Amino acid sequence: MSAVIIRSGIQASLQAGPRLGFRHRGMPWAGAADPLSMALANWLVENSVAAPVVELTYGGMSLTFERSARLALAGAPCSVVLDGAEKSFWQAMQVRAGQTLEIGAPPAGLRTYLAIGGGWSGDVFLGSVSTYLPAAIGGYAGRALKPGDQLTWIGPATTAPLRVLPEELRTPVSKSWALRATVSAETDWLQPEARQSLFHDSFQVERQSDRMGLRLGGPRLQCDARAEIKSSATFPGLLQCPPDGAPIILMVDSQTTGGYPRIAHIARCDRHLLGQIRPSDRLRLLPCSPDSARKAWQAKQAYFRLWIPDLVLY
Amino acid sequence: MRRFRSKVVAEDCVEFAINNLGVIHQLADQLRASGRFEDVVPGLEVLTIRFHPEQVDIAEIEARLDEAVLRDPDSSVTPEVMEIHVRYGGTEGPDLSDICHRLGVGETELIASHTDGLYPVEIIGFTPGFAYLGGLPAHLSVPRRSTPRPRLPAGSIGLAGSHTGIYALDGPGGWSIIGRTNHKLFDPARPDPFLIRPGMSVRFVAI
Repeated sequence: MSAVIIRSGIQASLQAGPRLGFRHRGMPWAGAADPLSMALANWLVENSVAAPVVELTYGGMSLTFERSARLALAGAPCSVVLDGAEKSFWQAMQVRAGQTLEIGAPPAGLRTYLAIGGGWSGDVFLGSVSTYLPAAIGGYAGRALKPGDQLTWIGPATTAPLRVLPEELRTPVSKSWALRATVSAETDWLQPEARQSLFHDSFQVERQSDRMGLRLGGPRLQCDARAEIKSSATFPGLLQCPPDGAPIILMVDSQTTGGYPRIAHIARCDRHLLGQIRPSDRLRLLPCSPDSARKAWQAKQAYFRLWIPDLVLY
Repeated sequence: MRRFRSKVVAEDCVEFAINNLGVIHQLADQLRASGRFEDVVPGLEVLTIRFHPEQVDIAEIEARLDEAVLRDPDSSVTPEVMEIHVRYGGTEGPDLSDICHRLGVGETELIASHTDGLYPVEIIGFTPGFAYLGGLPAHLSVPRRSTPRPRLPAGSIGLAGSHTGIYALDGPGGWSIIGRTNHKLFDPARPDPFLIRPGMSVRFVAI
């Protein structure tokens, strides 16, 4: 018994925790682009934080359930309709066999997470179910979901009362973001006006942005003559500065090594927000020392762990 | 006195400048085996460690690097050689004639040069299984293309600077492409999905 996808939206895939430990073999992490929202969706249905979820891009999914299940949505809020009846976002719901769930498009934010009690089933590859589309691994046959696909899940779900996410845990989405960031290995290669601009001006997120990276328009940041470095490791959250001066923020599917100057790094406490930034949104970077970045991350985790004890933010 | 100079990349990421690839890989293997880190990734001249800041600090990493025991390379062990069969030029090596023109050599001459000798696997990175191979003769050095191609087929073989690279997946790429192989550098269906690893050497064979 399964859930049959009727509409899949622009891009939907099964995601879970990152595929840690294989970057030296060129294997990106993949995983939920917004791991906090994944954890919140899982909390609502009483799963562990990184149980596989469906990650929707711009919402727009509908699916019919062949047996009863407990579901929840978190992330970019959108309309939720179950067999014609409107349901609230941020709270668990019970669906019966034969019912159809329709998820609308979020007015702001980019990714919405659909969790199911027990967790969706998917292919495990190198320790994670997370889909990495370019290599066709993990998830649902390594590919994005499409109409007609039959998703199965590992039951049974809890029968405890339906959970509602407390207001204070609902992460707000916006069209204008301010993320904390630290300087990085080659920040001092930036020319003085670019160095000034980095933490002062606002950038616009370009259309050519995806799970690999966010391309930033706006001020061009020029480095001095040493424009390339020997290839070295790169990680999600890094800001690279290619020769054209338009920075790229690396995301969960990003390459494991690179040769462009590393001019800043989104702080770990705010990296989960990268998964919600959509093309045409505005973005500013707030300067932050490594020490205060670490403390902010600890404080944010400690706060969410009051409800979700096993939460880890990458 | 610390053994290696460090640079902070982020509050949970540090890299160490190490001018010997063999040492980089030895240290990387030892750190990875400790199970203490999120990822330990060799670069061409650095070793980068990503860690969980509640569990690890930079002082611990420095101490582990200082205490690591380094073996001298064992010259009696001959490296495993992987033969990679290549169709040079034509539509599968669209930059070959341009490179020959730029370098002032004939295609036959360039192919003969490229198939002569062993290419040590320096690091794996970029995408799953993508190999950075050293050992390119200096007279074959060409820069990256100024504009990357949006889509290259898996198996494309490119040159950039002093390296030969083999693309493991279909995808964008900025190296100058001289040929293509049918060998799959990454195949999730194999018991070991990664065809080659550092320490091996590659010999190119023209077909």
